[in-house]
Amino acid sequence: MVTNRDFVTLLLIALPWSLLIWHLSNGNHTDLYWKGTPDRRNRSRPASGDPSSPREGCTPWGRAAAAGAGGGIVEAVRTEYVYSRPPPWSAALAPLYVITATFQRAVQKAELTRMANTFLHVANLHWVVIEDARNTSALVRRLLKATGLNYTHLHLETPRVLRMTGSYPRGGIQKNLGLRWLRLTMGEAPPGVVYFADDDNVYSLQLFEEMRSTTMVSVWPVGFIAGRKYESPKINAQGKVCGWVTGFAPNRPFAIDMAGFAVNLKLLIRKSEVVFKLRDVKSGYQETNLLSALVSLSDLEPKADNCTKVLVWHTRTERPTLVNEGQRGFSNPEVEV
Amino acid sequence: MRLKLKTVFVLYFMVSLMGLVYALMQLGQRCDCTEHDLPKDRTISRLRGELHRLEEQMKKVEATKSPHQAPKSTLPTIFVITPTYSRFVQKAELTRLSQTFLHVPQLHWVLVEDSPHKTPLVVGLLADSGLAYTHLHTATPKERKLQDGDPSWLKPRGAEQRNEGLRWLREDRRAPQGADSQQGVVYFADDDNTYSIQLFQEMRSTQRVSVWPVGLVGGMRYERPVVEGGKVVRFHTGWRPSRPFPLDMAGFAVSLKTVLANPDACFDGNAPMGFLESSFLQGVVTMEELEPRADNCSKVLVWHTRTEKPKMKREDALQAQGLGSDNAVEV
Repeated sequence: MVTNRDFVTLLLIALPWSLLIWHLSNGNHTDLYWKGTPDRRNRSRPASGDPSSPREGCTPWGRAAAAGAGGGIVEAVRTEYVYSRPPPWSAALAPLYVITATFQRAVQKAELTRMANTFLHVANLHWVVIEDARNTSALVRRLLKATGLNYTHLHLETPRVLRMTGSYPRGGIQKNLGLRWLRLTMGEAPPGVVYFADDDNVYSLQLFEEMRSTTMVSVWPVGFIAGRKYESPKINAQGKVCGWVTGFAPNRPFAIDMAGFAVNLKLLIRKSEVVFKLRDVKSGYQETNLLSALVSLSDLEPKADNCTKVLVWHTRTERPTLVNEGQRGFSNPEVEV
Repeated sequence: MRLKLKTVFVLYFMVSLMGLVYALMQLGQRCDCTEHDLPKDRTISRLRGELHRLEEQMKKVEATKSPHQAPKSTLPTIFVITPTYSRFVQKAELTRLSQTFLHVPQLHWVLVEDSPHKTPLVVGLLADSGLAYTHLHTATPKERKLQDGDPSWLKPRGAEQRNEGLRWLREDRRAPQGADSQQGVVYFADDDNTYSIQLFQEMRSTQRVSVWPVGLVGGMRYERPVVEGGKVVRFHTGWRPSRPFPLDMAGFAVSLKTVLANPDACFDGNAPMGFLESSFLQGVVTMEELEPRADNCSKVLVWHTRTEKPKMKREDALQAQGLGSDNAVEV
């Protein structure tokens, strides 16, 4: 006959064992699972000579091609490296999307030429060029095609009412179009880093490698800006940005120039409503308006050796004096300069 | 049947003891952690596959490179002589210049500093550039140097440095043996201009002196030699067209043979403004002998851009307060 006492005994015996078994099944769940399926483990390690993984070679270019990127889409694998052609596309590197707003003036072709000469050295670079014009110009079209770079050529004429406004930051609406194109073309969570590059600055090749590892927003010093030799984020002992070393309006939450930061593409797509403010922008606040909507100061990643090296210079090209053009006026307008 | 408590306890005790002994045996043994390494495994195998693919490509390129490209000895070297001087934008200008030059095969950069000694900035830049280079220096005599307030057209610049480059070519260069030692083209490239890659392709075939248009110079959109019947007949320029050679420094290249055959040809630092190029070319070639390039001088492949001097108003003010830019940082 089973008495109460037996019942209690059995319970006391069974309790610790059931606890043990329950703990095992919860904590080392996968342990038991994988140990039981050795085939699965082996399949995850294909032979090193097998290049066939189809996903690796896939890039989001298929969609980009449809979005009117012109002839600029370069196939993922180049079999011949020639001087003056970009390095082969590599699926292991994060793509860099460089957004450049440009406008027609005498030095435009020269500026874009030397920018292209720089970009031809950078792997996985996609140049998004937005012209401030009613239509894409033949000059830029031909130039981009001849470089052999991956590019997207867009155009958007700044509305007159904005152009007349003193506070409108130049190129703002074009950069917004670049952002819009990226958001429409790139899907939900693509890898990539976005950089806003003006066509008269100087970029070292190391800069592009530094920004490739951006997870949210990375920052670095910029030379010749704000009336100083360089402007830089201030880094504290923990390696985090705690302020700004600048000569102009140091109270800005993000006292940095357009050339001094890069944004991870996923962040821009997640916060899809963030664009450059176009009206009532206080001088020097364009970057602040964008960055404050994306990250906080503590999220910034310092690059360039803890912001001690200058890898980009905010140079400006002199406007050429074309006095003799007017007097004689015999420069053949058909010759593209 | 009644469960004897004693047996139950003994059983329980034995089983627990065995379990404990087993656990103690497992302690300190290597654990099989492969389940945690799985995502890392996947990345490694993907990267390995990627690496293998790129290595295959490289092998293919190495195999195709030699027959496609002319072997090194027959492609004439382009010697680019660039005078440079220390100012704020020097590093930026030389950086973007080197980025263009990296695209040109068989290019030898002769960088001549206007300085009594080699500066560490240029030494470092050249070492990192990846180009074949020669680093020279010669200081411009004080009376020929532009002072801070002088406009840029007051005195011709870079004459001494270009002459030093020519001297190196004539005297110090250790040329490869054989007939190829005279093969080459000399081009005078200023560090603030913009050069397209096609320009260097055009100049490589220079026999004596070749010429082409230059954009944004002489107060015009472009300046160029006018070509009729494959020969230069006159020059289209807006400024002093009566000069013997109304060209810009960036608008011509000289073959190495011509440079070596005319050991006295050099730039006259005392020449009036705009006559620097003529002072060199006059003794070397006549207008009829000029070789037009760039599609009979109808395309602009080089632009005479100039970079603004960056404003340092705040820098000066901040330096006075002791809050200026760190001078240890190279800009």
